[in-house]
Amino acid sequence: MDPYLVADTDAVLARARSGDAAALEALYRAFEAPVYNLARRICRTTEDAEDVLQETFFEVCRSIGRYRGDGSLWGWVRTIAASKALMRLRRNKYRDTDELDDQVMPNRREDTALRMDLEAALERLGETSRAVVWLHDVEGYTHEEIAGMMGKTVSFSKSQLARAHTRLRRWLGEEALA
Amino acid sequence: MTHLTIDQLLALRESGSEPGAAAAREHVAECGQCAAELDRLHQRVARLRALPRLAPARNLWPAVEARRAGERRVVHLRRAGIGVLAIAASLAGVAVVQSGDVEPPPPAVEGELAAVKESSRALERMLEVYGPEARVVDGRTAGMAQALEARIAEVDDELQATSLQQPEPARGEQALELWRERVGLLDALVDVHVTHASNVGL
Repeated sequence: MDPYLVADTDAVLARARSGDAAALEALYRAFEAPVYNLARRICRTTEDAEDVLQETFFEVCRSIGRYRGDGSLWGWVRTIAASKALMRLRRNKYRDTDELDDQVMPNRREDTALRMDLEAALERLGETSRAVVWLHDVEGYTHEEIAGMMGKTVSFSKSQLARAHTRLRRWLGEEALA
Repeated sequence: MTHLTIDQLLALRESGSEPGAAAAREHVAECGQCAAELDRLHQRVARLRALPRLAPARNLWPAVEARRAGERRVVHLRRAGIGVLAIAASLAGVAVVQSGDVEPPPPAVEGELAAVKESSRALERMLEVYGPEARVVDGRTAGMAQALEARIAEVDDELQATSLQQPEPARGEQALELWRERVGLLDALVDVHVTHASNVGL
């Protein structure tokens, strides 16, 4: 079931397909928050997330005629948003901070005393690992779907997820509980 | 006892039956440490899902709408531009055939008209290479570009009307004024986009 509902979806979609600005705005209002949230969780800065939000809805406005209602409307919008966010990561070529951590601080295991909250730990993950953990664990994409969107293999997606959880577990101080 | 790795624990959460999943499940059923680790993994994912939803700090719909309107105008502009050129060409043909009936525009006007049209084409090419419709712009830039594109569309409409309604040489002089305005507007449009691009370091 679609978690984000648009009132009178069929009528709004029909008007949006004919280029009606009010109908397109209604779609924007319905999905603006979840799209921004996804973009912000994947991208490093609010500016990048805002660009992804703009890019996503520009694409939605252009391509709404191609949405045939096979899956949920939110699922369709979300896939556009995820693709745009991943494209933004590739374009920015962020330096992966995970790799930096490994190189500069090989004894990171010792810092379990520095417990972080989940928000900070997620923020600290490298771009790719964070994108994979968010798309898989929160948005519910499969490894096959993530691999397809990233242009990588299923094994790559799985290893990035494992890497992310290993780090989150450590940074959240959960190792001490084991 | 060998405990499960993070990969094996993650595989237990997948809906399909991953290789070795049955053995891993048996192990978790017997091993308190791995059962606790799996439980922590489930809790971590539940906490990720429960993180506060982040919302944009400002309304970005006007920028999306302006960009969409801008793209529509660019398409209209290109079509109108082709239309104006086609009408101008056909009227020039009629003028040649009926050269005895109508007075041609003075050579100075004709020469200047050709030069202004060439400037217009050069600016259109610059805009095409820059590709503003494929770029993200802030609301202010989008608003300025939108206003300029709207006026260009009006000028194009006036050019078409002039070509059809005015007799030569009045047509030549009025057309020259409109083409000059068109070049000025296109020049400003290029300026708006290029200034925006240099401001954001593109």
